[in-house]
Amino acid sequence: MPRPRVYRAEGVVLRRRNLGEADSILTVFSLGEGKFDAIARGVRKARSRMRGHLEPLTRSRLLLARGRTLDVFTQAETISAHRRLREDLAASAEALCCLELVDRFTGEREPLPELYALLVAALEALDAGGGPLAARHFEQGLLSLLGYEPRIDACALCEGRLPEEETLLSPTAGGLVCRPCRPRAGGGRAVSVTVVKLLRFARRVDAETFAALRAGPAEAEELRAAIAELVRYHLDREPNARRFAEGVGALDRLAARGRFP
Amino acid sequence: MSAAGAPEPIARLIQEFARLPGIGPRSAQRLAYHVLRAPEDEALALARALGDVKRRIVFCGACFNITEDDPCALCADEQRDRALICVVEEPLDVLVMERTGGYRGLYHVLHGALSPIEGVGPDQLRVRELAGRVEGGGVTEVIMATNPSLEGEATSMYLQRLLQPLGVRVTRLARGLPSGADIEYMDDLTLARALEGRQEL
Repeated sequence: MPRPRVYRAEGVVLRRRNLGEADSILTVFSLGEGKFDAIARGVRKARSRMRGHLEPLTRSRLLLARGRTLDVFTQAETISAHRRLREDLAASAEALCCLELVDRFTGEREPLPELYALLVAALEALDAGGGPLAARHFEQGLLSLLGYEPRIDACALCEGRLPEEETLLSPTAGGLVCRPCRPRAGGGRAVSVTVVKLLRFARRVDAETFAALRAGPAEAEELRAAIAELVRYHLDREPNARRFAEGVGALDRLAARGRFP
Repeated sequence: MSAAGAPEPIARLIQEFARLPGIGPRSAQRLAYHVLRAPEDEALALARALGDVKRRIVFCGACFNITEDDPCALCADEQRDRALICVVEEPLDVLVMERTGGYRGLYHVLHGALSPIEGVGPDQLRVRELAGRVEGGGVTEVIMATNPSLEGEATSMYLQRLLQPLGVRVTRLARGLPSGADIEYMDDLTLARALEGRQEL
């Protein structure tokens, strides 16, 4: 039986690249099909009916027609535009980091419904004003779902119990490393008791609950740096959007002090 | 499709045309043979135009629009309101804004928009120069006329954060329904903003 000519998908637009005069190629991470590229025709014209429904960060219901090389969007309807998130620079920066990680960590047409649910929850939490912790919850969830979960309940090398103290988080060893094993850990960074607890807590609760935690700016920053190190190790690079998020953070800190960069 | 078999100058011309956006090997061949058949002065006029565009066009030192003279005609115009700066992404956007005839201030061309995932940050755009103009004084309002897309909005918000502490009013173009559009197909975001920005009839 021939494949149907059109199919439905629900997805979040990750990226948009311009093609020719008025078309765009969009990268979508969808619930049923995983990540794929497709062409949106005429979407850069003012009167395009699909334009507003196919912006990055938007979660949409889509109808696509199979094409020879790339499929073509025929209809699109917004499920959630994440308006508050878009209007908050720091939240958009965090959300863009999440999108970039999905794009870099996933393969084409590889359905990952759990990761999709995690992304949708992270975007909702950021949209609800959840702040950076919502993004941290997503990053840790993404690493676990894709098989890069760090061992945090016991020493990653000797499986021994970890005392409640500052511990080494080693990407090479694959998790936390107890004091006697440190020489064999191959580097890493020291993380405080609070951050270890945050990492453990993030595994047990959903994005909304985790985002509602009250962590001080120092702890939030330490958690960010710890997860960023794991991400960098597995991705073998720093995500582009991360630099932007740092820039926005720096701008906010300067503005808070009433100084100009 | 290669240019093999054609004499060297023709092959080279085909190759050069094929570099242009939207021109495939077939169109490049057709263009090259058209140039070959065209009268000599017509072909040389094209060559001169190409040379001039690269040699004589520079960026305006103030607004970074493309121009033949620095400062550009818009920046040099004494009739224009120097307290207003309209920030756009591309030089073409200046032409479109000018076509409306409703704006009498100055411009600032960023040459792109922030695109965090693609790695385009403030350092790749003319952001520092804009901050310098505002710091220089005399500017009361900066109008953000970046595209109402994710990148354009991020750029506007970023610049707003950057410029606000300098004591300047930062505004952005209204967002609403384009003329000739169907409300039925409008996305929630645009419609919500259009509703907020409704006006007395």
